[in-house]
Amino acid sequence: MATGGGGTGNLYDIVELLLDRGLVIDVFARVSLVGLEILKVDARIVVASVDTYLRFAEACNRLDLESGRKAPAKLTDVVGEITEGGARGKTKGALSGVAESVADALKASAEEAEERHREPAVKRERPVRHRKD
Amino acid sequence: MPVYVYSIVSRSHPQSLDGVQGVGDPPSALRTLTVDKLSAVISDAPEELRPKRRDLAAHQAVQERLMADGTVLPLQFGFIADDEDAVRTVLEERADEFAERLQALKDCVEYHLKAGQDEEAMLRQILLESDQARRMNEEIKAGRGGPDMPLALGELVAKEIEARKDRLAALVTEALRGLAREESTVKPSGDDFLSVSFLVDRDQEERLRTVVQELAEKLGEDFNLRLRGPLPAYSFV
Repeated sequence: MATGGGGTGNLYDIVELLLDRGLVIDVFARVSLVGLEILKVDARIVVASVDTYLRFAEACNRLDLESGRKAPAKLTDVVGEITEGGARGKTKGALSGVAESVADALKASAEEAEERHREPAVKRERPVRHRKD
Repeated sequence: MPVYVYSIVSRSHPQSLDGVQGVGDPPSALRTLTVDKLSAVISDAPEELRPKRRDLAAHQAVQERLMADGTVLPLQFGFIADDEDAVRTVLEERADEFAERLQALKDCVEYHLKAGQDEEAMLRQILLESDQARRMNEEIKAGRGGPDMPLALGELVAKEIEARKDRLAALVTEALRGLAREESTVKPSGDDFLSVSFLVDRDQEERLRTVVQELAEKLGEDFNLRLRGPLPAYSFV
Protein backbone atom coordinates (compact mmCIF):
# COMPACT_ATOMS: atom_id res chain seq x y z
CA MET A 1 0.00 0.00 0.00
CA ALA A 2 1.20 3.49 -0.70
CA THR A 3 0.39 6.31 1.60
CA GLY A 4 1.30 9.93 1.72
CA GLY A 5 -0.01 13.41 1.23
CA GLY A 6 -0.34 15.27 -1.97
CA GLY A 7 3.37 15.95 -2.47
CA THR A 8 4.51 16.09 -6.05
CA GLY A 9 5.14 12.36 -6.20
CA ASN A 10 1.56 11.64 -5.25
CA LEU A 11 -0.16 14.32 -7.23
CA TYR A 12 -1.28 11.98 -9.97
CA ASP A 13 -3.73 10.15 -7.73
CA ILE A 14 -5.39 13.28 -6.43
CA VAL A 15 -5.34 15.51 -9.47
CA GLU A 16 -9.03 15.00 -10.11
CA LEU A 17 -9.76 16.32 -6.63
CA LEU A 18 -7.96 19.57 -7.43
CA LEU A 19 -9.67 19.87 -10.80
CA ASP A 20 -13.19 18.66 -10.04
CA ARG A 21 -13.65 19.12 -6.31
CA GLY A 22 -12.81 21.98 -4.02
CA LEU A 23 -14.71 25.16 -3.39
CA VAL A 24 -16.18 26.73 -6.50
CA ILE A 25 -16.73 30.46 -6.55
CA ASP A 26 -18.70 31.05 -9.68
CA VAL A 27 -18.35 34.80 -9.82
CA PHE A 28 -14.62 34.23 -10.33
CA ALA A 29 -13.32 33.19 -13.70
CA ARG A 30 -12.11 29.65 -14.14
CA VAL A 31 -8.99 29.67 -16.21
CA SER A 32 -9.24 27.81 -19.45
CA LEU A 33 -7.75 24.46 -18.71
CA VAL A 34 -6.64 23.36 -22.11
CA GLY A 35 -4.84 20.10 -21.60
CA LEU A 36 -7.28 19.00 -18.93
CA GLU A 37 -8.33 16.04 -21.06
CA ILE A 38 -4.80 14.72 -20.92
CA LEU A 39 -5.17 14.24 -17.22
CA LYS A 40 -8.59 12.71 -17.39
CA VAL A 41 -8.63 10.59 -20.48
CA ASP A 42 -8.52 7.37 -18.47
CA ALA A 43 -11.96 7.99 -17.07
CA ARG A 44 -13.42 8.00 -20.55
CA ILE A 45 -12.36 4.60 -21.68
CA VAL A 46 -15.51 2.96 -22.92
CA VAL A 47 -15.78 -0.58 -21.71
CA ALA A 48 -18.59 -1.78 -23.90
CA SER A 49 -17.04 -1.70 -27.32
CA VAL A 50 -16.08 -4.30 -29.87
CA ASP A 51 -12.44 -3.36 -29.52
CA THR A 52 -12.51 -3.87 -25.79
CA TYR A 53 -14.28 -7.19 -26.15
CA LEU A 54 -11.70 -8.45 -28.59
CA ARG A 55 -8.87 -7.20 -26.44
CA PHE A 56 -10.25 -9.10 -23.44
CA ALA A 57 -10.70 -12.23 -25.54
CA GLU A 58 -7.11 -12.06 -26.75
CA ALA A 59 -5.85 -11.44 -23.24
CA CYS A 60 -7.74 -14.53 -22.08
CA ASN A 61 -6.32 -16.60 -24.95
CA ARG A 62 -2.81 -15.62 -23.89
CA LEU A 63 -3.29 -16.59 -20.26
CA ASP A 64 -1.73 -19.78 -19.06
CA LEU A 65 -4.10 -21.07 -16.45
CA GLU A 66 -1.79 -23.87 -15.45
CA SER A 67 1.02 -21.56 -14.41
CA GLY A 68 0.62 -22.53 -10.77
CA ARG A 69 -0.34 -19.27 -9.19
CA LYS A 70 -1.92 -19.66 -5.83
CA ALA A 71 -5.64 -19.11 -5.97
CA PRO A 72 -6.42 -15.84 -4.22
CA ALA A 73 -8.50 -15.85 -1.09
CA LYS A 74 -12.17 -15.30 -1.63
CA LEU A 75 -12.77 -11.61 -1.26
CA THR A 76 -15.76 -11.93 1.02
CA ASP A 77 -13.61 -13.88 3.48
CA VAL A 78 -10.85 -11.30 3.28
CA VAL A 79 -13.08 -8.36 4.05
CA GLY A 80 -14.92 -10.31 6.71
CA GLU A 81 -11.64 -10.98 8.49
CA ILE A 82 -10.59 -7.37 8.22
CA THR A 83 -13.77 -6.04 9.69
CA GLU A 84 -13.59 -8.48 12.56
CA GLY A 85 -9.91 -7.84 13.06
CA GLY A 86 -10.62 -4.15 12.94
CA ALA A 87 -12.98 -4.38 15.85
CA ARG A 88 -10.30 -6.05 17.94
CA GLY A 89 -7.74 -3.36 17.41
CA LYS A 90 -4.36 -2.99 15.81
CA THR A 91 -2.48 -5.87 14.34
CA LYS A 92 1.22 -6.59 14.41
CA GLY A 93 3.61 -4.02 13.02
CA ALA A 94 6.11 -4.71 10.26
CA LEU A 95 5.06 -4.75 6.66
CA SER A 96 4.77 -8.14 5.09
CA GLY A 97 6.72 -9.01 1.98
CA VAL A 98 3.53 -8.68 0.05
CA ALA A 99 2.95 -5.15 1.22
CA GLU A 100 6.50 -4.22 0.32
CA SER A 101 6.13 -5.53 -3.16
CA VAL A 102 2.86 -3.66 -3.48
CA ALA A 103 4.67 -0.54 -2.38
CA ASP A 104 7.40 -1.17 -4.93
CA ALA A 105 4.85 -1.72 -7.65
CA LEU A 106 3.21 1.52 -6.67
CA LYS A 107 6.46 3.38 -6.76
CA ALA A 108 6.94 2.08 -10.26
CA SER A 109 3.45 3.08 -11.23
CA ALA A 110 3.97 6.54 -9.76
CA GLU A 111 7.06 6.92 -11.91
CA GLU A 112 5.15 5.67 -14.87
CA ALA A 113 2.42 8.13 -14.09
CA GLU A 114 5.00 10.87 -14.01
CA GLU A 115 6.08 9.78 -17.46
CA ARG A 116 2.57 9.47 -18.73
CA HIS A 117 1.84 12.92 -17.45
CA ARG A 118 4.31 14.34 -19.93
CA GLU A 119 3.06 12.41 -22.87
CA PRO A 120 0.32 13.46 -25.22
CA ALA A 121 -3.06 11.87 -24.66
CA VAL A 122 -2.92 9.50 -27.58
CA LYS A 123 0.09 7.65 -26.28
CA ARG A 124 -1.54 7.00 -22.97
CA GLU A 125 -3.98 4.42 -24.17
CA ARG A 126 -2.82 1.01 -23.28
CA PRO A 127 -1.48 -1.03 -26.17
CA VAL A 128 -4.65 -2.50 -27.51
CA ARG A 129 -4.25 -5.57 -29.58
CA HIS A 130 -1.77 -6.89 -31.98
CA ARG A 131 -3.14 -7.95 -35.29
CA LYS A 132 -1.33 -10.79 -36.86
CA ASP A 133 -2.34 -10.08 -40.43
CA MET B 1 -5.12 43.36 -11.16
CA PRO B 2 -6.41 39.77 -11.38
CA VAL B 3 -5.64 37.50 -8.45
CA TYR B 4 -5.50 33.73 -8.16
CA VAL B 5 -7.39 32.45 -5.12
CA TYR B 6 -6.15 29.37 -3.26
CA SER B 7 -8.03 28.97 -0.01
CA ILE B 8 -10.29 30.50 2.54
CA VAL B 9 -9.44 30.23 6.22
CA SER B 10 -10.73 31.86 9.35
CA ARG B 11 -9.12 35.09 10.41
CA SER B 12 -7.82 33.40 13.53
CA HIS B 13 -5.87 30.84 11.48
CA PRO B 14 -2.11 31.55 11.81
CA GLN B 15 -1.89 31.91 8.01
CA SER B 16 1.76 31.03 7.94
CA LEU B 17 2.90 30.62 4.35
CA ASP B 18 6.58 30.01 4.99
CA GLY B 19 8.26 27.88 2.38
CA VAL B 20 5.43 27.81 -0.14
CA GLN B 21 4.95 29.77 -3.32
CA GLY B 22 2.10 30.41 -5.66
CA VAL B 23 1.28 29.26 -9.16
CA GLY B 24 3.08 30.59 -12.21
CA ASP B 25 6.58 30.66 -13.58
CA PRO B 26 8.37 32.31 -11.90
CA PRO B 27 6.25 31.40 -8.85
CA SER B 28 4.04 34.18 -7.58
CA ALA B 29 4.23 35.48 -4.02
CA LEU B 30 1.41 34.54 -1.69
CA ARG B 31 -0.48 36.98 0.47
CA THR B 32 -3.68 37.10 2.46
CA LEU B 33 -6.64 39.35 2.39
CA THR B 34 -8.96 39.63 5.37
CA VAL B 35 -12.55 40.74 5.66
CA ASP B 36 -14.21 40.55 9.03
CA LYS B 37 -13.74 36.94 10.27
CA LEU B 38 -12.43 35.36 7.10
CA SER B 39 -9.22 35.48 5.10
CA ALA B 40 -8.48 34.46 1.54
CA VAL B 41 -5.05 33.30 0.45
CA ILE B 42 -4.21 34.80 -2.93
CA SER B 43 -1.41 35.74 -5.29
CA ASP B 44 -1.17 37.77 -8.45
CA ALA B 45 -2.61 35.70 -11.28
CA PRO B 46 -0.07 34.50 -13.80
CA GLU B 47 -0.66 35.67 -17.35
CA GLU B 48 -1.32 32.22 -18.61
CA LEU B 49 -2.27 29.30 -16.45
CA ARG B 50 -2.47 25.70 -17.52
CA PRO B 51 -3.03 22.59 -15.45
CA LYS B 52 0.66 21.83 -15.40
CA ARG B 53 2.12 19.63 -12.74
CA ARG B 54 4.07 22.53 -11.29
CA ASP B 55 0.99 24.71 -10.86
CA LEU B 56 -1.19 21.92 -9.53
CA ALA B 57 1.56 21.09 -7.06
CA ALA B 58 1.79 24.73 -5.99
CA HIS B 59 -1.96 24.89 -5.45
CA GLN B 60 -1.82 21.72 -3.39
CA ALA B 61 1.25 22.82 -1.41
CA VAL B 62 -0.54 25.96 -0.26
CA GLN B 63 -3.43 23.86 1.05
CA GLU B 64 -1.09 21.50 2.87
CA ARG B 65 0.82 24.35 4.46
CA LEU B 66 -2.40 25.93 5.72
CA MET B 67 -3.85 22.61 6.77
CA ALA B 68 -0.90 22.04 9.07
CA ASP B 69 -2.10 24.94 11.24
CA GLY B 70 -5.85 24.62 11.08
CA THR B 71 -8.96 24.20 8.98
CA VAL B 72 -8.91 25.26 5.37
CA LEU B 73 -11.47 25.57 2.60
CA PRO B 74 -9.51 24.69 -0.53
CA LEU B 75 -10.68 26.23 -3.77
CA GLN B 76 -10.84 24.16 -6.89
CA PHE B 77 -7.78 24.67 -9.05
CA GLY B 78 -7.84 27.61 -11.41
CA PHE B 79 -10.11 30.33 -10.03
CA ILE B 80 -9.16 33.92 -10.74
CA ALA B 81 -10.89 37.03 -9.45
CA ASP B 82 -10.81 40.30 -11.36
CA ASP B 83 -9.15 42.06 -8.48
CA GLU B 84 -8.86 42.08 -4.70
CA ASP B 85 -12.17 43.88 -4.36
CA ALA B 86 -13.94 40.99 -6.07
CA VAL B 87 -12.45 38.65 -3.45
CA ARG B 88 -13.51 40.96 -0.63
CA THR B 89 -17.05 41.02 -1.99
CA VAL B 90 -17.23 37.22 -2.02
CA LEU B 91 -15.84 37.00 1.51
CA GLU B 92 -18.56 39.40 2.65
CA GLU B 93 -21.45 37.94 0.73
CA ARG B 94 -20.77 34.30 1.52
CA ALA B 95 -19.36 34.84 5.01
CA ASP B 96 -21.98 32.74 6.79
CA GLU B 97 -21.64 29.83 4.41
CA PHE B 98 -17.83 29.80 4.65
CA ALA B 99 -17.87 30.10 8.42
CA GLU B 100 -20.34 27.22 8.64
CA ARG B 101 -18.15 25.00 6.42
CA LEU B 102 -15.03 25.87 8.38
CA GLN B 103 -16.80 24.92 11.56
CA ALA B 104 -18.14 21.68 10.09
CA LEU B 105 -14.72 20.62 8.82
CA LYS B 106 -12.89 21.45 12.02
CA ASP B 107 -10.48 18.63 12.99
CA CYS B 108 -11.36 16.70 9.85
CA VAL B 109 -9.19 15.73 6.92
CA GLU B 110 -9.82 14.01 3.63
CA TYR B 111 -8.25 10.72 2.64
CA HIS B 112 -8.46 9.53 -0.90
CA LEU B 113 -8.25 5.86 -1.74
CA LYS B 114 -7.78 4.34 -5.14
CA ALA B 115 -7.82 0.59 -5.51
CA GLY B 116 -7.33 -1.65 -8.48
CA GLN B 117 -6.71 -5.23 -9.36
CA ASP B 118 -4.19 -6.32 -11.95
CA GLU B 119 -6.18 -7.04 -15.08
CA GLU B 120 -4.46 -10.30 -15.86
CA ALA B 121 -5.15 -11.57 -12.38
CA MET B 122 -8.79 -10.67 -12.71
CA LEU B 123 -9.05 -12.40 -16.09
CA ARG B 124 -7.40 -15.44 -14.63
CA GLN B 125 -9.97 -15.58 -11.84
CA ILE B 126 -12.81 -15.18 -14.28
CA LEU B 127 -11.57 -18.08 -16.39
CA LEU B 128 -11.04 -20.22 -13.34
CA GLU B 129 -14.48 -19.52 -11.94
CA SER B 130 -16.68 -19.28 -15.01
CA ASP B 131 -17.13 -22.58 -16.80
CA GLN B 132 -18.68 -20.83 -19.74
CA ALA B 133 -15.80 -18.39 -20.21
CA ARG B 134 -13.24 -21.15 -19.80
CA ARG B 135 -14.99 -23.35 -22.34
CA MET B 136 -15.17 -20.54 -24.89
CA ASN B 137 -11.52 -19.72 -24.30
CA GLU B 138 -10.54 -23.34 -24.91
CA GLU B 139 -12.57 -23.46 -28.10
CA ILE B 140 -10.88 -20.36 -29.46
CA LYS B 141 -7.42 -21.61 -28.54
CA ALA B 142 -8.18 -24.90 -30.25
CA GLY B 143 -9.15 -23.03 -33.39
CA ARG B 144 -12.81 -23.98 -33.09
CA GLY B 145 -15.80 -21.90 -32.16
CA GLY B 146 -16.09 -19.77 -35.24
CA PRO B 147 -15.37 -16.12 -35.93
CA ASP B 148 -17.94 -14.75 -33.47
CA MET B 149 -16.61 -16.60 -30.46
CA PRO B 150 -13.91 -14.06 -29.48
CA LEU B 151 -16.45 -11.27 -29.42
CA ALA B 152 -18.84 -13.35 -27.34
CA LEU B 153 -16.08 -14.29 -24.91
CA GLY B 154 -14.96 -10.67 -24.68
CA GLU B 155 -18.46 -9.50 -23.95
CA LEU B 156 -18.95 -12.12 -21.29
CA VAL B 157 -15.62 -11.23 -19.71
CA ALA B 158 -16.30 -7.48 -19.87
CA LYS B 159 -19.60 -7.98 -18.01
CA GLU B 160 -17.88 -10.18 -15.48
CA ILE B 161 -15.15 -7.55 -14.95
CA GLU B 162 -17.72 -4.82 -14.35
CA ALA B 163 -19.59 -6.99 -11.88
CA ARG B 164 -16.40 -7.88 -10.03
CA LYS B 165 -15.27 -4.28 -9.90
CA ASP B 166 -18.60 -3.22 -8.45
CA ARG B 167 -18.41 -5.96 -5.86
CA LEU B 168 -14.82 -5.14 -4.91
CA ALA B 169 -15.64 -1.45 -4.64
CA ALA B 170 -18.58 -2.16 -2.37
CA LEU B 171 -16.58 -4.51 -0.15
CA VAL B 172 -13.63 -2.18 0.32
CA THR B 173 -15.85 0.84 0.91
CA GLU B 174 -17.90 -1.15 3.39
CA ALA B 175 -14.79 -2.09 5.36
CA LEU B 176 -13.84 1.58 5.79
CA ARG B 177 -17.18 3.31 6.01
CA GLY B 178 -17.39 3.05 9.77
CA LEU B 179 -14.26 5.15 10.17
CA ALA B 180 -15.45 8.10 8.13
CA ARG B 181 -17.88 10.92 8.70
CA GLU B 182 -18.70 11.22 5.03
CA GLU B 183 -17.65 9.58 1.81
CA SER B 184 -17.65 10.66 -1.78
CA THR B 185 -16.93 8.43 -4.73
CA VAL B 186 -15.48 9.33 -8.09
CA LYS B 187 -15.69 7.15 -11.17
CA PRO B 188 -12.57 4.99 -11.15
CA SER B 189 -10.39 4.78 -14.23
CA GLY B 190 -8.14 2.20 -15.84
CA ASP B 191 -7.74 -0.99 -13.83
CA ASP B 192 -9.03 0.73 -10.71
CA PHE B 193 -12.32 -0.43 -9.28
CA LEU B 194 -12.53 2.24 -6.62
CA SER B 195 -11.80 5.92 -6.25
CA VAL B 196 -13.25 7.25 -3.03
CA SER B 197 -12.68 10.09 -0.61
CA PHE B 198 -13.41 9.85 3.08
CA LEU B 199 -13.86 12.70 5.49
CA VAL B 200 -12.11 11.51 8.62
CA ASP B 201 -11.74 12.89 12.11
CA ARG B 202 -8.12 13.55 12.98
CA ASP B 203 -8.32 10.97 15.75
CA GLN B 204 -9.44 8.29 13.26
CA GLU B 205 -6.54 8.79 10.84
CA GLU B 206 -4.30 6.17 12.38
CA ARG B 207 -7.11 3.66 12.44
CA LEU B 208 -7.94 4.28 8.79
CA ARG B 209 -4.33 3.81 7.75
CA THR B 210 -4.12 0.60 9.71
CA VAL B 211 -7.29 -0.84 8.25
CA VAL B 212 -6.25 0.05 4.69
CA GLN B 213 -2.87 -1.52 5.34
CA GLU B 214 -4.57 -4.67 6.57
CA LEU B 215 -6.80 -4.72 3.53
CA ALA B 216 -3.78 -4.37 1.23
CA GLU B 217 -2.05 -7.25 2.95
CA LYS B 218 -5.09 -9.48 2.87
CA LEU B 219 -5.96 -8.76 -0.73
CA GLY B 220 -2.47 -9.65 -1.85
CA GLU B 221 -0.10 -8.64 -4.55
CA ASP B 222 -2.59 -8.57 -7.41
CA PHE B 223 -4.20 -5.60 -5.76
CA ASN B 224 -2.98 -2.09 -5.67
CA LEU B 225 -4.24 0.26 -2.96
CA ARG B 226 -3.13 3.89 -2.91
CA LEU B 227 -4.17 5.88 0.11
CA ARG B 228 -3.49 9.60 -0.15
CA GLY B 229 -3.79 11.94 2.75
CA PRO B 230 -4.23 13.77 4.91
CA LEU B 231 -5.61 16.15 2.32
CA PRO B 232 -7.64 19.32 2.66
CA ALA B 233 -11.30 18.45 2.35
CA TYR B 234 -11.62 19.08 -1.38
CA SER B 235 -14.55 16.71 -1.69
CA PHE B 236 -16.45 18.00 1.32
CA VAL B 237 -16.36 21.79 1.06
